[in-house]
Amino acid sequence: MVFGRLVNWIRNFFRLRQDISLGIYGCTNVGKTTLANRICMDWVGEEMGKVSRIPHETRMVQKKEKLLIESNGKKININILDMPGIATKVDYRKFLKYGIKKKAAKARAREATKGVVEAIKWLNNVDTVLAVMDATKDPLTQVNITLLGNLEAKGIPVILVANKIDLKRSKPQNIKEAFPQYPLVEISALKGKSINNLYEAIIEHSRKAQ
Amino acid sequence: MKKKSKKSKIKLKIDFVSSVTLDSKTGKKRINFILNKVKDGSILVVNGVLTPDEEMGLIRETMQRVDDGFPGIEVCSLKKQLKGWGQLSEALSDGRKRFWSGITGNPPNPKLKTGITLIGPAKIIKNIRKNPDSFSVLAEM
Repeated sequence: MVFGRLVNWIRNFFRLRQDISLGIYGCTNVGKTTLANRICMDWVGEEMGKVSRIPHETRMVQKKEKLLIESNGKKININILDMPGIATKVDYRKFLKYGIKKKAAKARAREATKGVVEAIKWLNNVDTVLAVMDATKDPLTQVNITLLGNLEAKGIPVILVANKIDLKRSKPQNIKEAFPQYPLVEISALKGKSINNLYEAIIEHSRKAQ
Repeated sequence: MKKKSKKSKIKLKIDFVSSVTLDSKTGKKRINFILNKVKDGSILVVNGVLTPDEEMGLIRETMQRVDDGFPGIEVCSLKKQLKGWGQLSEALSDGRKRFWSGITGNPPNPKLKTGITLIGPAKIIKNIRKNPDSFSVLAEM
């Protein structure tokens, strides 16, 4: 047990694994699955998961393996992990407002809480994280602060993604001011705006780029 | 004869907890202490800040306790930003604890960092507005 932990620690330290596990993290409804779909469409021509305006649409970790991403002559093999949104509360009553029946709403809430737990567990198995934030909202949420602090403590490279910049009310500069110590890419996952900057950043900030 | 009018009083319980109380509790006991109080309807104010690992543990544990009557928590913390030697000393101390924790498999039991944390039931706390140096809380009964 102790030996296994030591081997894992050394392996993680030197990043000896073949592919990069790229975790897409963030609060609910920031556009994580839209981004995962965009990346998958760009590199393998198929979508990854269902997108919805109802929070907690992604309630299980979605994986897409072996994507070869290229930018500026550099290549990297990645496994995309689209995570359920991290939240400190899940109230089934909120789902009722979207026309979901009470029984289904309660089931959705139960699945959503399990999804958050699963996403947190996966933090130990990702190599690089895209921390997605909605550029139209206040970035200084406790979930964002906790997530970034956790990744920093684990030594996992983070790229901040200011999403939804196609919307007029978006203020990506708020994210930059709130977390100036991290690389930031401003995109619209829905429209594909500035998405190449993201691929460039993934290659630049992941440790296995060739 | 006049009828006595009964006015319903709205009660809000705020527990101020010293960091010494939480420092004396290890790992899961610390999280349980917080969540038991919050699930009972109290708002907790602690003169200290949990580590990012513990905060994530708090969210994880909260999710496992969510039910129809307890939708979760709202949490907000302000950590004192250390500079110079203080920052280096804290980073070295954290690194040492993580290293030994990784080797032995035992979870570390870090002391609370300097700062302030508010944790309360999401049913009561409707909104927390945070700035880099302050936060304001809107509670609704």
